[in-house]
Amino acid sequence: MKTRFKLLALLMVLVLIMGITGCVKSGETSGTQGQMTEENKSGDISKTDSTEDGEELEFVELTFLMMGNVPTNGQLELAMAEWNKILEEEINAHLKIEWVEWADWLTKYNLLMASGEPIDLITSGDWLDMWPNAQKGAFMPLDDLLQYAPLTSADITAEEWETCKLDDTTYFFPEQNYTQYVNHGFYYRGDWAKEFGIDKVTDYESFGQYLQGVADNKEGVVPWDANGSKFDLYDGWIISETDSLELLMVPTGYHKAVWAESKENKYTAYSPIFNDTFMEFAKTMQEWGDAGYWREDVLNFKGDTRELFKAGQSGADQHHTQTYRGLRWEMDNLIPGSEIGFYPFGSTRKNLTQLSIIHGATAIGANSQNPERAVMAYEILRQNEEFYRLFVYGREGVQYEIVDGVKTRPEGYNDADHEFYTDFWSGREDKFELPTDTEYAGIYDLWAEFDSYAIPDPYSRFIFDRTPVEAELAAISDVTSALGPAITYGKTGDPEAAVVEYREKLKKAGIDKVLEEVQRQLDDYKVMVEGK
Amino acid sequence: MIEKNNKLSSKKDSGKVIMTAVSYVFITFFTLACLLPFILMLSSSLTSEKSVIINGFNLWPKEFSTLAYKIIFENPKDILGGYIVTILLTTIGTALGLWIISMTGYALQRKDFAWRNKITYFFYFTTLFSGGLVPYYLLMTKYLGLKDNYLAILLPGLMSPWLIILMRNFMKSIPHSITESAKIDGANDFQIYTKLIMPLAKPALATIGLFLALQYWNEWYNAMLFLSPNVEHRPLQLYLYNVVTQAESIKNSAANSNVPPQDMPNETIKMAVGIIATGPVIIFYPFVQKYFIQGITIGAVKG
Repeated sequence: MKTRFKLLALLMVLVLIMGITGCVKSGETSGTQGQMTEENKSGDISKTDSTEDGEELEFVELTFLMMGNVPTNGQLELAMAEWNKILEEEINAHLKIEWVEWADWLTKYNLLMASGEPIDLITSGDWLDMWPNAQKGAFMPLDDLLQYAPLTSADITAEEWETCKLDDTTYFFPEQNYTQYVNHGFYYRGDWAKEFGIDKVTDYESFGQYLQGVADNKEGVVPWDANGSKFDLYDGWIISETDSLELLMVPTGYHKAVWAESKENKYTAYSPIFNDTFMEFAKTMQEWGDAGYWREDVLNFKGDTRELFKAGQSGADQHHTQTYRGLRWEMDNLIPGSEIGFYPFGSTRKNLTQLSIIHGATAIGANSQNPERAVMAYEILRQNEEFYRLFVYGREGVQYEIVDGVKTRPEGYNDADHEFYTDFWSGREDKFELPTDTEYAGIYDLWAEFDSYAIPDPYSRFIFDRTPVEAELAAISDVTSALGPAITYGKTGDPEAAVVEYREKLKKAGIDKVLEEVQRQLDDYKVMVEGK
Repeated sequence: MIEKNNKLSSKKDSGKVIMTAVSYVFITFFTLACLLPFILMLSSSLTSEKSVIINGFNLWPKEFSTLAYKIIFENPKDILGGYIVTILLTTIGTALGLWIISMTGYALQRKDFAWRNKITYFFYFTTLFSGGLVPYYLLMTKYLGLKDNYLAILLPGLMSPWLIILMRNFMKSIPHSITESAKIDGANDFQIYTKLIMPLAKPALATIGLFLALQYWNEWYNAMLFLSPNVEHRPLQLYLYNVVTQAESIKNSAANSNVPPQDMPNETIKMAVGIIATGPVIIFYPFVQKYFIQGITIGAVKG
């Protein structure tokens, strides 16, 4: 009996061990399999010389992985039928869209990447864990495939290609021909500012004057009905008052504690919290809070400032340029003559970084069955106007009409029946984009202004390894989350004492060690970038 | 009140009455406190988004609006399909799960089953560790080939170690002599299980059935992982979850810059989703409540 039990126990342990190792093993094999197929494929590519026109290609079905919920009104299928006609003619293929829905999207997306399903084109980007997934072998190297997208590839400069490489292998097509700015700032009522004799808000000082004007002249309106969980007041101050550049990859909680010094010294890390400018900030915010520029219980207020702004109950609102693009148009219709102004933080000292060109990027799946054809389809998408507009806007006459070069909605259009989207955010082309009648027409002037002084994102390839300072970062986050809000909204009573205490606590939490580590990694990064 | 001659009893009576009155008042308030969130949810789901933003949630809609429900029912096909899938999943899953779990639980406590404790420990052991999400996903999709298959959401819930152990502990309280005497009368094991044990285990079946039913009713995570959008009808909770997250992500998505964010009634949609998701459960619950109360005390007194 006993021996029997022992045997059984042994058996169970064995089964367990096998189970565990089985997992590992299968993982390994699937990894090597992936590589094997990749090698085979690249071998195939070298064998099949570039497909000449006239050579018969056999018909294939391609898939493009997108982020978004499945449209259910049937419009996508109708547009798909149209674009497949073009594809059939050009490369004898069909392209359909696979969706990753918004419910828990990052988990789902990364699982798909790990599972090695044979997807052809994949939406990726810096917000979609592009580098970890590339490291895990989710994507196919593009170097041998670029020949199938000659125009698109030629359009991308050597420097831009560098941003798409991991260990000298190209994995991504960047979205380098599309203008979008997501730099933050304040929105304010232009009509009110004129009333108070302010022509344009250009810095914190003039913004303060505007808020004072609202407080003095607009009964029942909160000058800026801010939501205390928003931290941009501090970010804006640093961008507006100094030349510092954000280092978004170093997470420090409520306040960004680590910045790079300036455009000129972009590889020098420092903390503005320990400079006079921060003391200045704390004192100014104390004044603003005392003057009632936001509500007394701002730190607990969780309201929707945008809606309050639209309803004329808040004198200001805070978000980025893209939001301004739609908001201004909306407000022009809602409150004609409101002339919503936008004060981008970066405009004060012309301190502005462009969005990384790999914020949206397209990759080819490691297990794609038809990588060459997928790249050809991508080329058509980025070079064929008719196809592009079908893919991005839908069908002309149903989803949109072009009136004097502006995209408008046709008679009888309604969202429920005609809404169309493919959520293609990884390779849009300004040359095919149309201005729409649901946006502020002045946005293009604003962009032109930004273009004149914005610099390309210098940190798009900087992957900060947090492991050595994980504990310190967590401790710093605790400190910034505990003391940051009160300083930001001037609720400390004694800003000087609060800043002194704040600095002490940050020191204790290990800010110096973090700065050292960031500096060390920035030095390495500098060698990597400039060594080329 | 009727006056009593006996002082003592009247004292007793008045004490009882006061006690009862206090209990009733207390229970009434408690019920109201439980009801309030529901009323708040219902009223908020019928309020216009703007009013919610400016005035907060109220017990009575300040500005009546059915927009949230309109958006959710934009595709009645999806909601109906979702309900059907969820109801089927719940009924089949609960019936099948109860059958398997009760058989396992019964077998695991039979005194004439030598390895019962070892095997129970083996079940329990699996609850201590998990292989992690990626291996689980790969197992289900690659090795079992269950992607886009309803089995992927039905199977994982059928053999819950925790419920098996609960069932086993309840069955322990059924005297072993019943099994023994039935055996002497010539019943086989399966007859004993169906004819004798199952009727005696009703409270446990009701409790565990309710656990299972709730688990299947609220199932969305496995569905999210294993049922891709290519599956036409997916569980209701997943559909509703998608409605909410779609509204949020459209509002917050930095990537989605071409589309001016639509005015999605975020807050009211959440409330409407809550109502739609919990409604049937609330309607159904009173009918199984009595079993549930019995079941709660399982193993409390009887060892």
